[in-house]
Amino acid sequence: MIRTVIQTSWRRLRNNPSELFLTFIVPMVFFSIFALIFGSRDAASSTPKIKIAISNESPSELSERSVQLLEEQSSLRISLPNPSSGSKSNPSKSPTFKRETAQDLVRRGMVSAAVVFSAPKKGNPSDDLPKVEIMTDSFDQVASQVLAAIVQKAVMTANAEIAKTKSPAPGSEPRSNPVVWARHINAMATGANFPQPPVVEVVDVIGGKKANPVVAMYASGIAVMFLLFSATTASGSLLEERENSTLDRLLCSRLTMDQLLLGKWAYLTIIGAIQMSLMFIWGALVFRIDLLNHLEGFAAMTLVTAGAAASFALMLAAICQSRMQLGWVSTIVILSMSALGGSMVPRYLMSENIQRVGLLTFNAWALEGYNKVFWRELPLNELGMELAVLTTCGFVFILAARIFAIRWERS
Amino acid sequence: MPAASGSLTQPDNLANAISSEAPALEVVDLWKKYGQNQALSGTSFSVKQGERLALLGPNGAGKTTLIRSMCGRVKADRGQVLLLGRSIREPDVLQRMGVIPQDLAIYSDLTAKQNLECFGQLYGLRSRRLRERVSWALKWIGLEDRANDLTSGFSGGMKRRVNIACGVLHRPQILLLDEPTVGVDPQSRQRIFDMLDELNQEGTSIVLTTHHLDEAETRSDRIVIIDHGKVVADGTLEHLIESTIGARRQVAIEATGLLMAVPSGLERDASRNRFVCFVDNVAEELPQILDRFQRAGGVVTDLEVHQPNLHHVFLHLTGTELRE
Repeated sequence: MIRTVIQTSWRRLRNNPSELFLTFIVPMVFFSIFALIFGSRDAASSTPKIKIAISNESPSELSERSVQLLEEQSSLRISLPNPSSGSKSNPSKSPTFKRETAQDLVRRGMVSAAVVFSAPKKGNPSDDLPKVEIMTDSFDQVASQVLAAIVQKAVMTANAEIAKTKSPAPGSEPRSNPVVWARHINAMATGANFPQPPVVEVVDVIGGKKANPVVAMYASGIAVMFLLFSATTASGSLLEERENSTLDRLLCSRLTMDQLLLGKWAYLTIIGAIQMSLMFIWGALVFRIDLLNHLEGFAAMTLVTAGAAASFALMLAAICQSRMQLGWVSTIVILSMSALGGSMVPRYLMSENIQRVGLLTFNAWALEGYNKVFWRELPLNELGMELAVLTTCGFVFILAARIFAIRWERS
Repeated sequence: MPAASGSLTQPDNLANAISSEAPALEVVDLWKKYGQNQALSGTSFSVKQGERLALLGPNGAGKTTLIRSMCGRVKADRGQVLLLGRSIREPDVLQRMGVIPQDLAIYSDLTAKQNLECFGQLYGLRSRRLRERVSWALKWIGLEDRANDLTSGFSGGMKRRVNIACGVLHRPQILLLDEPTVGVDPQSRQRIFDMLDELNQEGTSIVLTTHHLDEAETRSDRIVIIDHGKVVADGTLEHLIESTIGARRQVAIEATGLLMAVPSGLERDASRNRFVCFVDNVAEELPQILDRFQRAGGVVTDLEVHQPNLHHVFLHLTGTELRE
């Protein structure tokens, strides 16, 4: 009897290609996606680089050389000022930004951090070392720590190189003069001449004043992923209507396919917007997300995100042949997009190549928009790119859905 | 959605253009091909106003394509469908037609009343008119007391009744029903046909497709049989019988004691002791047949005389070969 049950179950699985695909292929697909994100095979070319801006307020030989050494670091991607922009801080060998410009770049998310070299403080034990500040965006929680170590190493190396070039005049070398040599040994013993690392001050220019910064970052990621799931589930009603002939009946009435799709799109958009709003209201009440002060940006992002998600869901439904097929296709597509687009793990943890691929996903643009609203606190006009991309996506998806739905009209 | 019009759903210009003389539905030389499959091959027939027409055909004969063409869901390669004298492609003409699909095309997660309201609105009914029609429909299908129950909890027969009601809310002048009684018990079938008779008495023309030949016999004024995408018979039951089998009767005799030899003029049926033949005049020919049995040494144990019916006509015209 048990053998019959096993045999029948196996035969049913074998006769069901979609179930076979879900059981054996999908796990490998997801494994591959996550392996690409976190375990890149070509580490040298695709390891995430820290994008930084540099400001050298008080150019000196040491700070100039330090900037050069930072530029040579393969783990950094240095953002350079536009030669015609006038945002350069000085006419030194390596052009750098003004402090304010560098800080603004961090605020806008153009770079992960900015390194500011300024004049050393008087009375500093290492008077010849410049004052170093790292203005960081704590959205990228890894960058500031890595960057601090890299900057210290660069300054120390530059200092050593300069010291070497300024070697003592012949005859004044400690070893050739017993008195100088004895003084040198004595100084080393007390530690007075031992090179001190520069003090690097890390300043969080965005998240420092926020009540609960991490939640604001992740709320949108989760919200967008579930928005997509609920929209595709709801869009399955289109396939259900087709399967039980309700679609025929609807299209025999005054309703046209255009009206049907637009009606469903409007419904899914409204439900999606309510879903997102509820999630953020909950976040504001329980997790102190500052929703009230970002209502304008939130409303704009939520509207276009919900609209684009609705279009995407209808397109998937129009492509699929059955509700069951829609179920597994949407699961694969949404989880993949969420993984690549940053809903599951922050994109700054991904390699540069994967981050670029991530920009092809719907999620990445939506999350970037919410990030600008809640994290960077940028005004509405700064959301232009995200709103434009999502609106275009929404339009293209609904157009695709309409084209695919033609077969239902003609069948 | 276009704005709701007048008291019903018929625009004035349409009402003016429709001739009272025109057939309720006219299918003119319809051709449709899907790939290599010729689904319709010049199908033509018409339905008079107030007539009940049964549309029959074996599986794969082209019935579904024909029905979908009639309600505008399939665009024929050639030919046209006229509704009350006007092409169904003209705006608002299809509003005069009601379509009842074979599947239960209702929302199981809506109540009976909500389903009726939904489809009523899609046919342009609004406010008081909508309420009146929904109330009428609930009474008509005998589900007033279950109006606010989800249809997912209804029996098969109740769902079928809601399914039909959703297609007649806008008072169509012609109703297409695709096997409206599939999977329901005899009581529900009876109830459904009583409902349809009521509509027909009010002047609604009815086109019914069914595999229940008894339904076609008793519930239609005229029968159209299609096969291979063509009309192979069109007329009343009497006319179909007359034009195919004629007035002959089938005689079936069960007998024992017969030798292997079969009396002349009879055929051995599948059962070894059963013999059948057709006779033009029962009174004259039956005694002769019985005499032949007696002479062959057989003892007649049972005798049946069958009047030809639609079943015989259908098999005569479409054959007995399975089509699937």
